[in-house]
Amino acid sequence: MQFEKQIAVAAPREKVWEFIWDVDRFIACVPGCKEAKTLEDGKIYTATMVEKVGPFRVEFPMRIEIEQSEPLSHIKARASGSDSKIGSLMKIELEVNLKEEGSGTLLSFVATVDILGKLATLGHSMVKRKADQVMAEFVEKLKKSLETDT
Amino acid sequence: MLRRFHLDEPETVKDASDLLSRYGESAKIYAGGTELLLAMKEGLIQSERLVNVKKIPGLDEIKRIGDSVHIGALATHRKLESSAELQQSLPAFVQMEANVANIRVREVGTVGGNLCFAEPHADPGILLLALGAGVVAQNASNMREIPMDNYFVDAFETCLKPDELLTEVRVPIPPPQSAVRYLKFGYLQRPSVGVALRLSLGDGGLIRDVRVAVGCAGPKPCRVEEAEELLKGKGLQEASELIGEAGQIAGRAAEAIGDLHGSAEYKEHIIQVLLKRAFHQMVQEEFSSKGEGGPHA
Amino acid sequence: MPNGLVRRAEQTIPVTFTVNGKQHEMDVEPHELLLDVVRNRLGLTGAKRSCDMQVCGTCTLLLDGRPVSSCTLPAFEARGRDILTIEGLAQQGKLHPLQQAFIDKGGFQCGFCTPGMLLTAKTMLAENPKPTKEEVIQYMEGNLCRCTGYKKIVESILAAAEKMRQQR
Repeated sequence: MQFEKQIAVAAPREKVWEFIWDVDRFIACVPGCKEAKTLEDGKIYTATMVEKVGPFRVEFPMRIEIEQSEPLSHIKARASGSDSKIGSLMKIELEVNLKEEGSGTLLSFVATVDILGKLATLGHSMVKRKADQVMAEFVEKLKKSLETDT
Repeated sequence: MLRRFHLDEPETVKDASDLLSRYGESAKIYAGGTELLLAMKEGLIQSERLVNVKKIPGLDEIKRIGDSVHIGALATHRKLESSAELQQSLPAFVQMEANVANIRVREVGTVGGNLCFAEPHADPGILLLALGAGVVAQNASNMREIPMDNYFVDAFETCLKPDELLTEVRVPIPPPQSAVRYLKFGYLQRPSVGVALRLSLGDGGLIRDVRVAVGCAGPKPCRVEEAEELLKGKGLQEASELIGEAGQIAGRAAEAIGDLHGSAEYKEHIIQVLLKRAFHQMVQEEFSSKGEGGPHA
Repeated sequence: MPNGLVRRAEQTIPVTFTVNGKQHEMDVEPHELLLDVVRNRLGLTGAKRSCDMQVCGTCTLLLDGRPVSSCTLPAFEARGRDILTIEGLAQQGKLHPLQQAFIDKGGFQCGFCTPGMLLTAKTMLAENPKPTKEEVIQYMEGNLCRCTGYKKIVESILAAAEKMRQQR
């Protein structure tokens, strides 16, 4: 599944960059994400993704690795985790780009999300819808946090 | 395999509701279990307590009350498909029930359970929407009737409160000069697309009342008021020229998602096909010039 | 309480039911599935676990004469009821006409789906002793076969139906 989102944030690039690396504040924008930990600053992180759809509940402990990072402009990361209870694996490849636009920043996200295992076959349509929702909510929360913070 | 759980077997609705209140999310209502146990076996739902409601008497009856049929939530699909009362008053409902899932699921699965689980790829909710039905929800202290129009909220989500049990489905019998159809399509184990149409003719053979409902393709069953408005008040000839457009409107309204069942465009197309087909079947059968418009549908 | 070890009280439900005419009494845990009780505790392995999600029919058992997916039915639901498994189809060593027809007509290859096919067909013929080919196909659509392509299964059932009508 591919997701692409672009938002214009009324905040300078430095502030946006700083926010992204502030693990706790960043994670707070990701719906269902909790228990974020830094294993190696700037390189390796862990977090747990808990998502609910009606009575269903999945929990993916994720390991996030930063592959590339260019200050104030570009991040490439990958994350993966598995929910053993349902025999499923989630893999995410994420690219974040920052571009100055006037006094604000143009933030763009490209995410490739792969779900493997039982959840992929049983919950295919659910997963896509949920992922769409999560992505949209994340982007909105991020913008709000960046713009209301002074 | 199923993980261990504790079984409660209350004998009244109040006791069942009290258990839900007391244990919250860790308790789930268990009737036929055809959806719940499946999800529990897959590990997608974890539940420590199952509240077996099948010991509560009187929740599986089918009764004609005035102009409606009251169907107990615990009535199995099998009971519904073999009901003489329903065959007489709601034959389209019988036909839908006779084709739910497979013979083994129909034997054990209940209509209430189906509605409560609110799996998107399901049949009953769509037809019940087109029939203008309602459900009765009860908890320890209160009973309320919920029109089908307000019942489904999202995939696997209904407007039922955490301590409420669905106890009854109430279906108004369509008036004379009505026709009802539920058509579905799919190759997989669950239906990919479902369409329900109800037409009631009035004076001069004009469409006095129309209900269009679609489901399976999107997150929940929904009525398509825009398609209904297009057909309302028209004669059958004019409606037959508009039914294609109505079908397109219905397709878009379904919020179809591309998935293993097919692309969104494909599903929208099939919705249009099924709506047209349902309409033409009615014109040829119930509303043919041979009869006056046929009996109750 | 032993140090560090807490044993959760297990809930068991006493159940009495008949299987192939014979009465059984046992305690089952709520989460025990009927298929496992029949296969593992009663040693009746004709019913199979295949899809494990109610769609294939290899786990079919007749509960009070009606076909159910025993892979998704808790064993306690059988309390006070009659179960028929494939092992109970033949009577006193004599094959049921359905079984004989499947042999005569080649209605099975690997045999994995066959117990489910036979039990479901039995139910159908009890409801409809003179089915058309289309009726057989429709009734049996919830039982899947990977070997035969279904043609011989349908022929076997129709042949059995005729034989059973003659025997009346």
